[in-house]
Amino acid sequence: MHSTSGRYVGLLYLAPALAFVSAFTVYPFLQMIWMSLHNWSLISAKKYIGLGNFVKAWNDPQFWTSLGFTFRYTLYITPILMILGFLIALLTATNTPLRKFTRGVVFAPVVIGLGASSLLWYWLFSYDFGLINRSLIDLGIVSKPVLWFGADADVSLWAVIASIVWKVVGFGTILFVAAIQAIPGEINEATMVDGASYWQRVRRITLPLTAKTILLVTLVSAIGSLLAFDQFYIMTAGQPHNQTTTAVLLIYLNSFPYLKLGYGSALSLILAAIILTCTIFQIVLTRRSHG
Amino acid sequence: MNIQPQMARHGRERDVHHVEMRGVNKRFGEFTAIHDLDLSVGKGEFCALLGPSGCGKSTILRMIAGLEAVNSGSVFISGVNVTRMHPAKRHIAMVFQSYALYPHLTVRQNIAFSLSVAGASREVQAKRADEIAGLLQLGHLMDRKPAQLSGGQRQRVAIGRALVREPEVFLFDEPLSNLDAMLRVQMRIELAKLHKTLGATMIYVTHDQVEAMTLADRIVVLDRGVVAQVGAPLELYAKPANKFVASFIGAPTMNFLAITPTAYAGRAVTLAFDSASASASPGLTVQARNVPDASSPPTEIGIRPEHIAITNPSDRRAQISGTVQLVERLGNLTIVYLSTAAGQIVAEGSGELDVKVDENVGLVIDTARTHLFGTDGAAL
Repeated sequence: MHSTSGRYVGLLYLAPALAFVSAFTVYPFLQMIWMSLHNWSLISAKKYIGLGNFVKAWNDPQFWTSLGFTFRYTLYITPILMILGFLIALLTATNTPLRKFTRGVVFAPVVIGLGASSLLWYWLFSYDFGLINRSLIDLGIVSKPVLWFGADADVSLWAVIASIVWKVVGFGTILFVAAIQAIPGEINEATMVDGASYWQRVRRITLPLTAKTILLVTLVSAIGSLLAFDQFYIMTAGQPHNQTTTAVLLIYLNSFPYLKLGYGSALSLILAAIILTCTIFQIVLTRRSHG
Repeated sequence: MNIQPQMARHGRERDVHHVEMRGVNKRFGEFTAIHDLDLSVGKGEFCALLGPSGCGKSTILRMIAGLEAVNSGSVFISGVNVTRMHPAKRHIAMVFQSYALYPHLTVRQNIAFSLSVAGASREVQAKRADEIAGLLQLGHLMDRKPAQLSGGQRQRVAIGRALVREPEVFLFDEPLSNLDAMLRVQMRIELAKLHKTLGATMIYVTHDQVEAMTLADRIVVLDRGVVAQVGAPLELYAKPANKFVASFIGAPTMNFLAITPTAYAGRAVTLAFDSASASASPGLTVQARNVPDASSPPTEIGIRPEHIAITNPSDRRAQISGTVQLVERLGNLTIVYLSTAAGQIVAEGSGELDVKVDENVGLVIDTARTHLFGTDGAAL
């Protein structure tokens, strides 16, 4: 049986972590809930309006446009990241010098800041000077430069997706490579002796045995996409007509340039609830895969 | 049910040698694992590849399976050159040391995996899996996953997965090494029965001489990538070709003592132990296998522990005396470690042998069962 003093010593060890989480997670979150119930422009006095900000969000067409666009972006980019990441992992999972080098090259953009990579791609997609327009014209794919940003929301979306795939595909690849390499060599050899073709082995052995990693990477990618901000802030600034304003960009615009702190907090809470739902969904799926 | 190995899928030129390796070399970088190997295994034979860790026995098995490329030489199965053939097309099945069961599939799905990838109908898969399960007493475990099975059950599933393919050759890579001692004995008996039932060609890799001796029709002893000797278990025991085989077969291991021959008479060699104070009186006379060549005389004598009897120091039959250093009582027999003027000796006696540590004893060597070795280690 533990003594009371022993219990306090345990608490003492936990105290730094508890203090950190309380100061930087719990307190701001509670403050956000409190702010979401107020109308507050930072320069005027706070005014309690109950669920007014949530009602406002419900009736705000821009909220639905932003949410829809964010979901669309997530739905498009997540499968691309997963499939491409897994294919690259399959190609590079064996440890040969060339494959290791390829893994390094694919992973390199992951360590670049998102802001820096977005600026890089902004210039690559430049109407007048961009390498992409120049290449497309030289290859005869288009006859005149494409206006990637500011004219067509769909074109902008795919341009941003291209830049983000380049930036983050290496993250999933590395996790997939680790999962594939964790499959014992004798299992792969047993499938060879059993007569399975390469794709049969991938479908019936590799994919099921890496399912947990696939679920994890899906969740991380999906949450990252639902929180997309930097790339759209830098590359599209929400244009044309706020059609490429993502949920987080909308929160930023309301909270800071427009100083609608209460409304921004309410939008943040709604997004947090959506992400929490995704997380619960992932946990349920993981438990099911354990069973 | 038909669990006989499938016959004659290919034209057969050499049925006598079901599996044959000719001049096979295998290198890993600068290291030569297998050097110019010639090996043949007859149809229906149970052949054990025996040797210490790193001797290349698993590499040989993997080259037969097609999981390891051959640097030079050829591998034949049923007379067909399979050296560059994919493992699935060689009509072999392999049981791995770690069992290599598919962890996400049930026992039934594991057993039927090869049928499933070959496109067999669900009915055929279920029927064959049930037949195999009946043979291996796995019926009640068919819906379990490998993690829910004991070591012995997993081993049976691995064998079942091999059986369902109806292979021409079964390859076993140390299949019992992960099991506890009792289960190993039980599985050994089951494997022997299975071989008798199927009559299939089996090649079995092990470092455990007891497994090799009890299961195999023929044992191939390997030493650093080279075949040290091939023969029936008792032949290897009674007539080891060299010191390596003599030391590897038999437990406790054979005693080796340095000697100098003093006289030859036909195959009979009279010798003295090299140790100055050794008192082999009037001199030990043993039989060599062949008439010795005086230019390459024997330099060592090998005596198995069970061929040394412990007696009173005053016993006239005793050729040498020693002091007991350690006594290991195993119940049915007693292992005695002795210090003698000729060197350290291990002797084996009955379970009731009456000896004590520090006691002086006489040793009677069965001179008809000794082995002589030359400087190169070859038996003479």
